[in-house]
Amino acid sequence: MNDNQPYIEVRDLIYEYPDGTRALNQINLQVYKGEFIALIGQNGSGKTTLSKCLNGLFKPTSGDVLVEGLNSKNTPIVQMVRRVGYVFQNPDHQLFNNNCWDEIAYGPRNIQLEEADVRERVEEAAKVVGLPEKYYTEHPFFLTKGQRQRVAIASILALRPTVIIVDEPTTGQDARQSFEIMDFLKDLNETHGHTVIIITHDMPIVAQYTRRVVAMGLAQILADGPTAQVFTQTEVLARTFIEPPQITQLAQKSTSLGFSPGILVVGEMLARYEELAGAARK
Amino acid sequence: MTAIIEFKNYTWRYLNTSAPALKNINLQIEEGKFIGIIGPNGAGKTTLAYSMDGLVPGQYHGIKDGEVIILGKEVEKYERGELQRSVGMVFSDPEAQFTAMTVEDELVFGMENLGMSISEIRERLEWVTDLTDLKHLLNKPPYEISGGQKQRVALAAVLAMTPKVMLLDEPTSMLDPISRKRVFDVLAQLKREQSNTVIVIEHSLENLIPLADQMVLLSDGEVMLFDETQAFFQQTSLLVEKGIHPPGAARFFHELQQKGYYAGDIPLTVEKAARKLGQMLPEFPSREEASRT
Repeated sequence: MNDNQPYIEVRDLIYEYPDGTRALNQINLQVYKGEFIALIGQNGSGKTTLSKCLNGLFKPTSGDVLVEGLNSKNTPIVQMVRRVGYVFQNPDHQLFNNNCWDEIAYGPRNIQLEEADVRERVEEAAKVVGLPEKYYTEHPFFLTKGQRQRVAIASILALRPTVIIVDEPTTGQDARQSFEIMDFLKDLNETHGHTVIIITHDMPIVAQYTRRVVAMGLAQILADGPTAQVFTQTEVLARTFIEPPQITQLAQKSTSLGFSPGILVVGEMLARYEELAGAARK
Repeated sequence: MTAIIEFKNYTWRYLNTSAPALKNINLQIEEGKFIGIIGPNGAGKTTLAYSMDGLVPGQYHGIKDGEVIILGKEVEKYERGELQRSVGMVFSDPEAQFTAMTVEDELVFGMENLGMSISEIRERLEWVTDLTDLKHLLNKPPYEISGGQKQRVALAAVLAMTPKVMLLDEPTSMLDPISRKRVFDVLAQLKREQSNTVIVIEHSLENLIPLADQMVLLSDGEVMLFDETQAFFQQTSLLVEKGIHPPGAARFFHELQQKGYYAGDIPLTVEKAARKLGQMLPEFPSREEASRT
């Protein structure tokens, strides 16, 4: 497959729940290999439903989801989940085995790999998430939330998906834990070549880590573009009740002083301040 | 002013753990204040809250040293259930506190237990559903409504009992931004209209800062900092060292201070920060002017 082609292509996707509620309305989206995307929007805007369409768990009511050229409508789910992995928001909703090894091995065993291959996949995934060997036999519930999240991610990585979707990775975590988990996802993206999509409400995290933002509201995509550019679309964001990070808001209130409305992190703001103050002194 | 809550050399260690969860806490909280408690996960924030409503030591085994005095009386001297009339607790997981099959029953449950008259219950129900915008949901089962609505039900159920002290343990950690804002809107209204003492444990500083009179930083079981909110956030270096991530505007002005570009107070809101910045830099020349010079 050509790298210039999207890895995931969503065309005119409509998804309706059995009761007739339209959760996704005319979604068009392309995801390329190696991207780091934030999927944002209020609860109920369709983010999780879209994710479940991307990994084939939900089949479109109409329209198409193509992953590596395979149409989710007629591709067995086993083939889909090897390409797009979805990590639940709450690791406790996903973990159910009695020890970490079996948890991570569950996926590979389920796609009927030989036990030797299963072993290789588990060791590889455990290494990537930094789960020490002494935890292999430990019950997941004796680990901290951050460690449980890593086990949950490892269990998905063991299927070696190209794309990994992580639902609210930083919810309930403090600042330090949030940076830890995001640095890990960044490493997955940069070092291990995974395409990463995070679903999140944490805008400073979006600003700091992701390169592209897809904003959803009312079952549709309201904005899609580079992170800095989407954060300047304040009216669109307001429709989905999202505010850009505080530092971006400060830059946007200070454009008359020469700050760009697309500033995302404190470091950028500081660098621009130094330029402007230097110019003013001359 | 007298303290409504007073910790005196208070130490608590849960049974079967090696280190105390809280170490030698000394803290005085005045009546009517809005207090924010922050700190990394595992710092002891929830244990501190539990110590104020009697769950610790009441429901947990452990070793206690020192005193926790609420409304002039040591927590352990209260009769069972008596302290909870004065101190109401809202948990981070609202479902953990639901018992009833409708929102209305959920809201009424606490008041009935306090033995209030039907007319008073009716009056308070009216008031509390108005304040938390729940009227349209009264007949719904509490497990069928959204996360933000659940959290408002949990808050309203405690509020209806009008406790002198309200404790909220990460009331918005599971919510999306709009639901989070609506919970804080309720807290803001509470602050304006009622004289309760409100104590909130929260990671979301941007919402907490405009409401909090005072802030407590808890780290590794100890109170590292306790001060008026404005003064508290002047200690950005300490906060960052303890794993707290102040909002962007505050971090930006802290960086300016560190580099020697700025010597004043660190502003805590976007509006104040923008005004300060406007005083520090000239208007950016428009293109025409720039090309002329």
